[in-house]
Amino acid sequence: MEPLRNGGGAEDKAWRRGADAGPPRRWSGGGGGGGGAAGADSSAAAGPSGRQRRDSVRKNRPLFPWFGLDIGGTLVKLVYFEPKDITAEEEKEEVENLKSIRKYLTSNVAYGSTGIRDVHLELKDLTLCGRKGNLHFIRFPTHDMPAFIQMGSEKHFSSLHTTLCATGGGAYKFEQDFRTMGDLQLRKLDELDCLIKGVLYIDSVGFNGHSECYYFENPTDAERCQKLPFTLENPYPLLLVNIGSGVSILAVYSKENYKRVTGTSLGGGTFFGLCCLLTGCSTFEEALEMASHGDSTKVDKLVRDIYGGDYERFGLPGWAVASSFGNMMSKEKRESVSKEDLAKATLITITNNIGSIARMCALNENINRVVFVGNFLRINTISMRLLAYALDYWSKGQLKALFLEHEGYFGAVGALLELLDSA
Amino acid sequence: MSCGSVTQEILLSCLAVSLPVYFKNQCWESDWVLRCKCAPSRGADWGVKCFPGKIIVAFYNLLLQRRIFGDFSSFFFINRLYEVLESVFEVLWLTCVFTVAFSFFPPKPPSLAFPWFGMDIGGTLVKLVYFEPKDITAEEEQEEVENLKSIRKYLTSNTAYGKTGIRDVHLELKNLTMCGRKGNLHFIRFPSCAMHRFIQMGSEKNFSSLHTTLCATGGGAYKFEEDFRTIADLQLHKLDELDCLIQGLLYVDSVGFNGQPECYYFENPTNPEQCQKKPYCLDNPYPMLLVNIGSGVSILAVYSKDNYKRVTGSSLGGGTFLGLCCLLTGCETFEEALEMAAKGDSTNVDKLVKDIYGGDYERFGLQGSAVASSFGHMMSKEKRDSISKEDLARATLVTITNNIGSIARMCALNENIDKVVFVGNFLRINMISMKVLAYAMDYWSKGQLKALFLEHEGYFGAVGALLELLKMTDDQ
Repeated sequence: MEPLRNGGGAEDKAWRRGADAGPPRRWSGGGGGGGGAAGADSSAAAGPSGRQRRDSVRKNRPLFPWFGLDIGGTLVKLVYFEPKDITAEEEKEEVENLKSIRKYLTSNVAYGSTGIRDVHLELKDLTLCGRKGNLHFIRFPTHDMPAFIQMGSEKHFSSLHTTLCATGGGAYKFEQDFRTMGDLQLRKLDELDCLIKGVLYIDSVGFNGHSECYYFENPTDAERCQKLPFTLENPYPLLLVNIGSGVSILAVYSKENYKRVTGTSLGGGTFFGLCCLLTGCSTFEEALEMASHGDSTKVDKLVRDIYGGDYERFGLPGWAVASSFGNMMSKEKRESVSKEDLAKATLITITNNIGSIARMCALNENINRVVFVGNFLRINTISMRLLAYALDYWSKGQLKALFLEHEGYFGAVGALLELLDSA
Repeated sequence: MSCGSVTQEILLSCLAVSLPVYFKNQCWESDWVLRCKCAPSRGADWGVKCFPGKIIVAFYNLLLQRRIFGDFSSFFFINRLYEVLESVFEVLWLTCVFTVAFSFFPPKPPSLAFPWFGMDIGGTLVKLVYFEPKDITAEEEQEEVENLKSIRKYLTSNTAYGKTGIRDVHLELKNLTMCGRKGNLHFIRFPSCAMHRFIQMGSEKNFSSLHTTLCATGGGAYKFEEDFRTIADLQLHKLDELDCLIQGLLYVDSVGFNGQPECYYFENPTNPEQCQKKPYCLDNPYPMLLVNIGSGVSILAVYSKDNYKRVTGSSLGGGTFLGLCCLLTGCETFEEALEMAAKGDSTNVDKLVKDIYGGDYERFGLQGSAVASSFGHMMSKEKRDSISKEDLARATLVTITNNIGSIARMCALNENIDKVVFVGNFLRINMISMKVLAYAMDYWSKGQLKALFLEHEGYFGAVGALLELLKMTDDQ
């Protein structure tokens, strides 16, 4: 998808035609007033008189702040567009709480006890809807949603009269709470629509000059394993595997045409939940840390444990897992494994299961590129490399596993785009 | 030899036997050669009266006429011809005599030595089927070797063996006819970790002296082959587990379960009150999707008796359920795990669609009650403290079962097969999983797919191994 610049000609919006005779332009809506012509983006073409344009276009650009919200089963993902081209005039007119929101979000990297801004993912100098700025990526546990809504209420967010575009299950679940507690009307969007839009957009703008999309070469070789960029220029058809709390698998044929092939309930939430139960850890980071030190082969029953070697008839190598956690029915073995081994086994089991299902889908949909997204893969190199290897091995090199830097934020980005689109 | 053509054979044999006799006795006097020391003159009939003799004479005359040979050499030519013909007829006569004799009194084929076992050495359990002959004659019994008798008595008079061996009496197939013998088929199982003990027992009971072949399938047939040879001096005949699975399944379904059907399904699986187990006729089984849930899972698409392919597999099988249960709840056996699961509520452990959406996710047809993230609640300490071991056991069971069901459904869809048969010991005494599978297949496919089950669940591999043993003799 093209960055929303002057019109983006392909899109057919009635308002644009009606706006003016010249090439349509988008101007800042701003909290208190429109910016002057000079303040608008430099790539603008000339148009009719400034005021007329300003008024007409102001209607067509949403008011700041610009948020996209994805309320998932475990995490809430928030993208916030921080305008960097605010003129002095605009700043003067800016409402107080809008300014404080901007300052609060951009000068901190942690919010409360659980909110985090992923600074390394910040997209700088982005042009959105005619404004230049940075795109920030913030997350916090869904568990803290009520606190978030409360905060919105205290800061009189509703007085800003912005639309809050939200996607994910929570957009439906918390809709009522937003209205009653925060006096905010959510604009609900489908999570998979937003996901796809977000993926296509971010990939098109790139990651501060680098590639958003990448793959692994030699995934199993600790020394030679390399992360290499991949161009998603002709992305279709694409199999998109979104690994959040649960998993959804989509076959994407074009920008507007996709279908949800299947899903599985054994996702990131399962890994995290099981790890907490088996090892006593309490955060995702802890779980991954433990897993990185463990050996799952003590926990899983491998083909060689059953066959004494390979199961050649059906091409199953001795090191393949025949039964996950299969050794754990023996008391002896249970006593000989460590928490780290259990964490690793849980990670491997969930990852392999997802990989296997994804592979079957790819085979049946006749698609050879599989893109994995979702916060299960955040800082989770083990899973990424395992997926890369498994897909390559079991498909005999036919399938390629691809990954994206902004992992779990695409839904939120898609929601933001919807906000800008609909203005 | 088939009885149908005995009459034909008799007639043919009689004809074949009588011809040379007739020919021999009627056509030529034994002193004919002596009488005709010199070539008979052309045109003579030599006093031959019978028809075949007349033909020979005519042939001789023809040779003379055509001057193919001279008189005398024609004569000797005819003589030689006669001798050759005589030998041919002798041979033919003997062959017919013996054939007729054998068709009435077939020679006894080398009989397959008892005991007849089929073994399936899996990742968790060893499945053993034993054929107990019930038609042993007094004579046979007298000749029976001592340890063979003791094996038979040991197996059939106990239902438990050692600490962990169990005979599933309710699965016994009575009055079966196998390879011409009548008897009962017994189904025995014990954990694979007791395998060495089993081999030791075989060694102590001098099993190898019985000189029987031990047909074994499953991974353990390969893994323990060496041990069988070195410890018990037994040569295993190794067979592929999936081949045996299919052969065993087809066989047991064809003989039926003591008059009852082997195959069944569940009607109204979602309604606990109306849920009923109903028989299913597997007469036209192909194509079918066979899902074997043992320690791990194999999914096969079966197109005909000899044509199948392994579509895929999953490592999240019965072993995963038991292993995780042991870790999470402290249980030790499969039975314990299932008992706990029966009392638990998995919705306290799993994050459902309604926990995320507040209701249904209508856009993609996901009901609020569907599981969005298995064990998804367990990341919260509060929730961890509020659930019971039973809830965890239930959640583990439901998670593994649903995952298998989902994968099976995808395979069925892609292979274009609407019958999905679930086997394997994960389903033993596991009504919960069977109903979940029945429900899932029906619901997610909108009634297109049917989940089928078989009474002898995990024993088909072993039965297939036994069948292979019996087939080996037939070929000898």
